[in-house]
Amino acid sequence: MNTSKNMLIFLVDDDVVFLKALEIDFMDSPHYEVRTFRTGELCIANLSEKPDVIVLDYNLDGVEKNVLNGIETLDKIKEIDSTIAIIMLSGQDKIEVAVKCMRHDAFDYVVKSETAFMRVEKIIGTIQNIKRMEKELTWYMDRM
Amino acid sequence: MHTKGSQYARSLIEASLDPLVTISTEGKIMDMNNALVSITGKSREELKGTNFFDYFTEPKKAMEVYEAVFAKGFVKNFPLTIKDYKLTDVLFNGSVYKDIEGEVLGAVVVARDITEQKRIEKEMVEAKVFAELATEIAVDAKREAEEATKISSEAVKSKQQFLSNMSHEIRTPMNAIIGFTKVLFKTDLSIKQLEYLQAIKMSGDALIVLINDILDLAKVDTGKMVFEKVPFKLSRSISAMLHLFEPKIHEKNLILIKEVDPNIPDVLLGDAVRLHQIILNLVSNAVKFTATGSITVSVKLLENKSNTVSVLFSIKDTGIGISASKMEHIFENFQQASSGTSRLYGGTGLGLAIVKQLVENQGGLVSVNSAIDIGSEFSFQLEFEKTLLEAEPIIEIAESEIEINQIKVLVVEDIPLNQLLMKTLLDDFGFEKDIAANGKIAIEMMALTVYDIILMDLQMPEMNGFDATQYIRNVLKSEIPIIALTADVTTVDLEKCKLVGMNDYIAKPVDDRLLYSKILSLIKKNQLNLLPQLEITEKAIESIVRYTDLASLLKRTKSNPILMMEMISLFLDQTPLLISTMKNSWQNKEWDLLQSTMHKLIPSFSIMGIGNDYENMAKELKEFAETKKEKVVLPSIIFELERVCNIACTELMEEYQYFEKQIKITIPSIIPIP
Repeated sequence: MNTSKNMLIFLVDDDVVFLKALEIDFMDSPHYEVRTFRTGELCIANLSEKPDVIVLDYNLDGVEKNVLNGIETLDKIKEIDSTIAIIMLSGQDKIEVAVKCMRHDAFDYVVKSETAFMRVEKIIGTIQNIKRMEKELTWYMDRM
Repeated sequence: MHTKGSQYARSLIEASLDPLVTISTEGKIMDMNNALVSITGKSREELKGTNFFDYFTEPKKAMEVYEAVFAKGFVKNFPLTIKDYKLTDVLFNGSVYKDIEGEVLGAVVVARDITEQKRIEKEMVEAKVFAELATEIAVDAKREAEEATKISSEAVKSKQQFLSNMSHEIRTPMNAIIGFTKVLFKTDLSIKQLEYLQAIKMSGDALIVLINDILDLAKVDTGKMVFEKVPFKLSRSISAMLHLFEPKIHEKNLILIKEVDPNIPDVLLGDAVRLHQIILNLVSNAVKFTATGSITVSVKLLENKSNTVSVLFSIKDTGIGISASKMEHIFENFQQASSGTSRLYGGTGLGLAIVKQLVENQGGLVSVNSAIDIGSEFSFQLEFEKTLLEAEPIIEIAESEIEINQIKVLVVEDIPLNQLLMKTLLDDFGFEKDIAANGKIAIEMMALTVYDIILMDLQMPEMNGFDATQYIRNVLKSEIPIIALTADVTTVDLEKCKLVGMNDYIAKPVDDRLLYSKILSLIKKNQLNLLPQLEITEKAIESIVRYTDLASLLKRTKSNPILMMEMISLFLDQTPLLISTMKNSWQNKEWDLLQSTMHKLIPSFSIMGIGNDYENMAKELKEFAETKKEKVVLPSIIFELERVCNIACTELMEEYQYFEKQIKITIPSIIPIP
């Protein structure tokens, strides 16, 4: 695995308390570099930094109106760079929300709870694994 | 001259490696070169005058060559197979030759051997097919690998859950079986009854050992095994543990020799519990397999580096020994030196596997030397960090100096059977005891009576052991020793016990000697700490209820005051705004806004340790905003949430100032404040 470079992770949530808590959780691990954004717009504006994974809140237009919601942000990001893995976060443990996220090509869906960070970290591990496998596969394909 | 020229031409023709043949207009072979002779394996005389087509696998096609060459005057690259011993593939090129008058005399045909080209062509086709297959396999493999990752992560999760459940489900009834068996021993029994009871107890003990072993191995397998670094006294720790074997060694009339290198530093940093487990397994094997002679436990200093010491432990017996052929297998799961051994000596064969895992996971090495009928020596090497810290007082088995009659124990336990068992055990120890059926009752009882120690079950109705302990530590501000009684011994639970402020734990089924010594040592430690017990009045319980609990956030931030301040100030900024939006949207019946406001408010509750009750209230309100099913309680919920959040903000403001002070205390040493 590519250990020399840290994974760049974007966290996007308008709930600043939760956002900070998640950031603190990530700070413990030396493998991640983390940037936080309060809106989808800010996140998209910074896509040039090439994040490996984006953790995106589903309800971005909660209290503030006239901003992108989570799914709109997700679509915009996928339009710009479809290779970025996106994990959706939501306070709602609802099948409709989960299905909607999956339909819009999110990598996974995590409910905001005490264990959210652990789940997200685990999913990031899986993403890393898949990326590595894809890389290996292209290597083998090239050689064939 | 003429003959010399034709001789030269002939020699060129003979030298050609491609078979060359001339055929008459009737298709008979007239002349040939050496290459044809050797490829057909027939002599020139035999070939001459025979039919040209007879030498090919498909005479009909050969006929076509013959016809074509005489019809068109030439033939080019015509494929045929020569009927020789290996069926050589050839390409034919030929043309007719004429006399001076232009009369066709015959045809000269050259056959080019293309076996090599054919082989390469075939290999290329095969390689192509292979490459296509490999691509398909790689794509399949990728899909399978992705699938497998998903499945395995699920499997690990369910395995852990299963083990945790199994541990709990088996231990709870075993607790009663073993506990009451021990109690029965103390009653009047006939010799027969005593014998039967002995059998029950032995089987029960064996079962518990087996469950523990399996759980340990599973923990190592899933990487859940965590090694602590706690200061401990090596020599005392080993003596205390060998103590356990004294009765057994006495019984078998063996000699126990202990040799501890005096050069080993007194206090070391390491995982004393795991070290116990390793030595325990090895010594119990030694005792089990030795009929006469001695068991030597020796500890030697191998290397003394600046920060660490390397220590060699060895356990030597004069037992039955292990044959060389079995030696390499004894560290595998469920292996004993011979299948006959287990019938004779019992045991599961997991002990050495655990020893190996425990040692190697700490970066050490295990080795074994043995000779049949002479004995075995198991040794392992571990590295410990040196420390200047004092060792925590280890739990010594049955070392009683305190007067035990005045000890008052509060047992918090909901299952009547277990209540009875604890009552019987504590009666035996001569302790006074009270029983509370859950955490809530326990707290009420603590207001009335002063106890020396609490034995706390974890899973209880009304208020569980974790919540009760948290309440006792944070609200009652009491430092009373608390021992958790747990049937579920996964690492997660033990961490949680420590986190909420429990002093120790004891796994069910409760070992009475261990319980006794843990109670005594904790009470002793508590008295040494000389912490004055707070007098708790009912009033105090009422007034010191706090709505926020930063314990989990402190853990998250590793008690970093700057991060704590950041979190608190974000909460203080965000929450009042959300609360006023909540109230307004309720009044204006803007249900969508109410829902998203609650949505944003809820996660911060658990972050700031605001109780579950309030989080559930908030969830109820959010649910209403979604479904619009009005409930009578809603206005009171809104009122209550506002009240709690306001108090939480005040509390957090105080905490903020506290952290601010902390920073001011630490920073002046670096930056002098003018």
